[in-house]
Amino acid sequence: MSTFLAIDTSGGTCVAIVSEGKTLASVNIDDPMGHSENIGNAIALVLQEAGLNPNQLSSIVVGRGPAPFTGLRVGIAAAIAFAEGVGKPLFGVVSHDAIALAALTATSAAGSNQAAATNANPLLVTTDARRKEVYWSLYSGLDSHGAPIVLDGPNVNKPADLEELLTERNVNPIRTDASLSATSLALVAAAKIAGGGNLEDISALYLRAPDAVEPKAHGKFGKQVSS
Amino acid sequence: MTATEIRPALESDLDAIMVIEHSSFGLTAWPSDSMALELAPNADRHYFVALDGELVVGYAGINVVAGHQSNVMTIAVAESSRCRGLGRALMQKLIDSAESQKSVEIFLEVRADNPAAQNLYRSMGFEQIDIRRGYYKPENIDAVIMLKTMPTARTEISSQPLVLGIESSCDETGIGIVRGTTLLANVISSSMDQHARFGGVVPEIAARAHLEALQPAIREALKIANVSLDELDAIAVTNGPGLAGALMVGVGAAKALAVATGKPLYAVNHLVGHVGVDVLERGQVETPTIALLVSGGHTSLLLVRDLLDDVQLLGETIDDAAGEAFDKVSRLLGLGYPGGPQIDKAAANGDAKAIRFPRGLTLPKDMEKHRYDFSFSGLKTAVARWVEVAEATGASVPIADVAASFREAVVDVLVSKAVAACVDHKVPRLLLGGGVVANARLREVAAQKCADVGIELRIPAFELCTDNGAMIAALGAQLVMAGRPPSSLNFAADSTLPVTQVCSL
Repeated sequence: MSTFLAIDTSGGTCVAIVSEGKTLASVNIDDPMGHSENIGNAIALVLQEAGLNPNQLSSIVVGRGPAPFTGLRVGIAAAIAFAEGVGKPLFGVVSHDAIALAALTATSAAGSNQAAATNANPLLVTTDARRKEVYWSLYSGLDSHGAPIVLDGPNVNKPADLEELLTERNVNPIRTDASLSATSLALVAAAKIAGGGNLEDISALYLRAPDAVEPKAHGKFGKQVSS
Repeated sequence: MTATEIRPALESDLDAIMVIEHSSFGLTAWPSDSMALELAPNADRHYFVALDGELVVGYAGINVVAGHQSNVMTIAVAESSRCRGLGRALMQKLIDSAESQKSVEIFLEVRADNPAAQNLYRSMGFEQIDIRRGYYKPENIDAVIMLKTMPTARTEISSQPLVLGIESSCDETGIGIVRGTTLLANVISSSMDQHARFGGVVPEIAARAHLEALQPAIREALKIANVSLDELDAIAVTNGPGLAGALMVGVGAAKALAVATGKPLYAVNHLVGHVGVDVLERGQVETPTIALLVSGGHTSLLLVRDLLDDVQLLGETIDDAAGEAFDKVSRLLGLGYPGGPQIDKAAANGDAKAIRFPRGLTLPKDMEKHRYDFSFSGLKTAVARWVEVAEATGASVPIADVAASFREAVVDVLVSKAVAACVDHKVPRLLLGGGVVANARLREVAAQKCADVGIELRIPAFELCTDNGAMIAALGAQLVMAGRPPSSLNFAADSTLPVTQVCSL
C-alpha cells in the first residue's frame, strides 16, 4: 500500500497524507506568508491525525510551484529533509497539475469540464505571481491514468499579455477557480507514477531570474591604474 | 640506592633539568629560555621532576587541553638513574594529568632510533600512528608519532549528545555534526562564485543555492561523521540573524527533519554560534570574553559572560558590514570578489600609511553615542573620492597603497574598539569570528594590540570562523548538555534576531 506525504507551499501551506486515493489527514493554511513557521506543525499534525509514524509513509511528494520565491522553497526544503529523515523516495509535481486535477475531476460527474477540456478548449490554470503577473498553464484533459495532460506551461505573463496570446492562438479556455490541495498533489503523483512518469525532478519552478543588477563596471578606472 | 619520588616541577629546577636535557638530547636539546617558559606557571602545562633524594634525576612535561588532545612535550631520565622505572613513573604522571582534565587522546613523538622508549610507551597503551621523516634536526632522525586514547574519556564522549547543525543565514549552506564538544563533520557549500559578478551577496541567489545544496550536504556530513540520522540526539538550526529567505530554507528543512526523525530541535542564534564554536577547540568557551564577529553580513562586538545565558551586544555596524566594505572597495579598485583576499593581495606591497583614510565613529562626539559601533560607509566614500581626485589629476592610482591604507583603516577601527571593550569591561580575552578573520592583517594587528595590553586572543581555525553548521551543532549540543528544553515547532526565521536570544523557544 502506498502512502504519500504531500507538501505544497506554492500558495499557503498545504500538507496531506493520502493512502490508496484516500485522504487520511490534511492541513490547509491559507496564509501566503508564514510558511517556515507553519510547516513543522502542519506535518506533525497530519501524522498525528492519520495515526501514522513517519516510517509508515512510503514516499514524499512536493509541489514545485510555480510560485513566488520564498514560500515555495520552504516546502521543498522541508520535503527534501523529511525524505532524508525517513529514507523514502521524494517526488516532484508541478503545483498547477494539482489544481488542474481538482478542476477536471470535481465537475466530471456533473458532465463536465473533463469532457469539455480539449486541445482547442483547454483548461486554463492561473495563480498569482505577484508584480501584477500570473503564472499559467493549459491542460487538455486527463490521461488514461488520470493525470492532467499539459498543453502549455507553466509560464509567467501579465494578464493582458496572456489574454492576447490566447486570442492569437484562437484558444477559448475553460477557466477554473479550483484551489490547490496537497491531496490533489498526491493524486497527481500516484497517477503519474502509475503511468510510468519520472518525478525525480524536485527543483523549484521560479520562472524568473533573481532580482539582481550587475554593478556598473569600473572599467575606465581599471585600465588607468598601476600598482 | 636512595628513595625516589616524583613531584611537580618548579621554576627553580631549571638548571638541574637543563643538565639532563643536554646530556640526553645533545644537538636537539631545547635552549634554556624555552625550558624556562615551559616551567613558568601555566594552566595547560604540567611538568614533573623525579628526585633521587634531593637530586633531580628526571623530568617530563605535557601540554594538556581539557576535553581534547594532549601532547607530551618532553621526558628524560639522567643516564645514571635509568632502568629504575622512573621513565614509566613520570609518564604515568603525565597520563594522570591528561586524564584529570578529561583529555581524549595523548600524542607523543619519539626518536625512531630509541626502541626502548617506544616499547615503554607501547606497554602504557600508546600506539604508533605515523612516522615523520627527518623530524629531529640536524641529525635527520625520524620521529615515531604515537597516540594513546584515554579509555575513560572514550566512554564519557560516547555519552555526549550527537547533534546535527544546519546553517543557512547567508551564502554558505553548512551542515555540521558534533558529539558534545568533538567535531565530527563540517560540510560547507558556498554560493560565493554565483555572487561574484554582482560584487556582493544577492539574497535570492543565496536562497536558491541553499535549496540545491541541502540534500548533498546532509548526506556528505553524515558520511564523514559516519553516523546515521537515527543516532542523533538533537538537531540545531540557525533561525537568525541573517537573510530572511536564506534562513527559511534551513528552518523549513530542520523542522521537517525533526518531525521525520522524532528528534528535538533547537533554534539557535547565528552570532552566538560564532562564539560557541570555540568549544570545539577548547572544550569550553572561556568567559567572560569579548567577541568581535566580522563578516560580509555582520560587524558585531559582543560581551559574553555566559554562552547560554548572558550575551550582550555592545555595538555593531550602523551601515555596511566590514566584509561588505572590502567587497565594495575591491570593486572600486577594479579588483575581484570577494574583496577581502583581493585587497589583502593588492595591499601586500603597499604602504599602509600612504593615505590617512578616516576611522569611522572614532571622533570624540561619535564615541559618546557609538563607542562600540562601527561605520564603514564613509570610509568607502573617502576611498572613492581619493581615487577620483587622483584620476582627475591624471596621475596613475597607486592601487597597492590605496588597498593597504584602506585595509589599515578598517583593521585599526575593528581592533581598537574590540580591545577598548576588553579594557573597559575588564575582560581578559578576545575571541574573533566571521569570514573576515581570514584577513592576515586583522589577525596580525589583533595579536599585537592584545599582547600590548595583556589580553588573550582566541582565533578558531578558519573553517570554524566562517559561517558553518558545526558551530550551530556545537551550540545546540551545549544547550542539550545544559538540560535546556528544545524549541517548539513554530519558531520563526528572524532576520534581526537579537544576540540576547541564544535559543528561540
